Amino acid sequence: MSADGAGIVGYGSSVYEKRATRTEVSYFAEAARAALASAGLGKDAVNGISISSTTLHPDNAVTTAEHLGLSPRWASVSNAGGAGAAINVLDAVRAVQTGRASCVLCLAGAAQDGAFFRERIGRFTGSFGDYVAPHGCGGMNGLFAIIQRKHAETFGTDRTQLGRIAVDQRANARANEFALLRGPMTIDDYLDAPIVADPLGLFDCVMPCSGAEAILVGPLDRAPKGKGVRVLAGREQHNHPVGEVSPIRGGWELFRDALYDEAGFGPSDVQFVQAYDDYPIMVAIQLEDLGFCRKGEVGPFLARRHMTFDGDFPINTGGGQLSCGQTGGGGGMIGLTEAVRQLRGEGGARQVPGARRGLVSGYGMVAYGHGLSASALMLEAVR
Amino acid sequence: MNGHLPPGLPQPRETPTNAPMLHAWRTDGGLALQRCAACAKVIFYPRPVCPHCWDDRLVWFRAAGTGTVLSFTQVHRGLPAAFQADAPVIVAEIALAEGAAMIARIVAPDPAAVRSGMAVRLVPPAEAVRFPLPTFMPA
Repeated sequence: MSADGAGIVGYGSSVYEKRATRTEVSYFAEAARAALASAGLGKDAVNGISISSTTLHPDNAVTTAEHLGLSPRWASVSNAGGAGAAINVLDAVRAVQTGRASCVLCLAGAAQDGAFFRERIGRFTGSFGDYVAPHGCGGMNGLFAIIQRKHAETFGTDRTQLGRIAVDQRANARANEFALLRGPMTIDDYLDAPIVADPLGLFDCVMPCSGAEAILVGPLDRAPKGKGVRVLAGREQHNHPVGEVSPIRGGWELFRDALYDEAGFGPSDVQFVQAYDDYPIMVAIQLEDLGFCRKGEVGPFLARRHMTFDGDFPINTGGGQLSCGQTGGGGGMIGLTEAVRQLRGEGGARQVPGARRGLVSGYGMVAYGHGLSASALMLEAVR
Repeated sequence: MNGHLPPGLPQPRETPTNAPMLHAWRTDGGLALQRCAACAKVIFYPRPVCPHCWDDRLVWFRAAGTGTVLSFTQVHRGLPAAFQADAPVIVAEIALAEGAAMIARIVAPDPAAVRSGMAVRLVPPAEAVRFPLPTFMPA
């Protein structure tokens, strides 16, 4: 396999549900069937499996293969929460390039609802459970409220600017039949929503839900003509900056130059960004750290850009987690499947005009004060 | 105001690593921190080795229990049941006088008066039994 011969050959999403009506593996299977169908391949082609899930324990990639009747020769599980799915896909490309597997099914998702989430969130990670949850944070909202206030007090970023992310993503979701939250939202709706953890309001916080996403990685010449997607570069960074509790940066700034050098193109050459959107403030920090604007200037940047699929700076073109819901670790893959959908020209009513290149970034693994993991991929359509 | 730990509060797991910090809080409402004997950095949360230089000579000492609010939030919704009567719960990132930063709860008679930059100190020792971890109040 030549270095440029492996890439994304298929993608799929399951239905999203506010309450789980079936098991996690069932959502995985639905997304996997869709991914295989989009690649024109059958189950027997799959000989690698990779999973990003925060709810799968005590199961794993190998036991999921047992459930699905697969006999993979390569299996991998992510440890990076919402940053994990992008890393899984990068690793899968490398696995195919090096012959460890020829077709890898990458899965991410969860079977959960709000009550399940609240029950387990207090033990999400060791340091969060031992040294944050006992203070009464109410899940992770409090930690990101602290980060947003620090960004606001350091740089002047205000809720009217950050709210543009939630409002434009909701406009995108209105063209996505899978999105759980599709009602119209104005900036006043956003600003007037109940405060959850000040300065975070209701529409700053993702809704936990059930569902799954799937990406199929294999030789690009096996993809249907014009439907392959190259993974030109990817990077990850964890636990940066060491010892900082509530940082207003996330690690993308460390690798962005290497990422763009390897890809051969940068932020001004992509037609869309799919950024990890557990909270608008983290989307904003990703845009800064990835170099779309200078550090501290994301507020005015957001105020003058249009982030709808047909705007001048499309972000999270399917509505993102903020409008679709957060399927646990699947939140790290919803941007990837949406990116592939757009690059294949299959965005339907929300197709980004001329989408040829995109950036997908991940973030997650909240521990003592913030998410520890950052990731990003640079993608390009095969024409 | 004396009292006891409300039932149903999430609790830290006690380990050989964090026991001195938990005991200092539970017995007399003090804040115990670790200082690295090799690089002199002060750390929180408790570790078995210094996260800066990996030396394992971490020396416990009694901190002043004072600090400055770096940023904070008032949590109104989504609180665990045991905290709902206390809403809004104020949680802050606090720069301790000794140099480390920590996430901690602030109990304030007037929540609206809490500001970044505000000086805080530990609640009086008699009130420590009401909270699972070191908790602060406006200084």
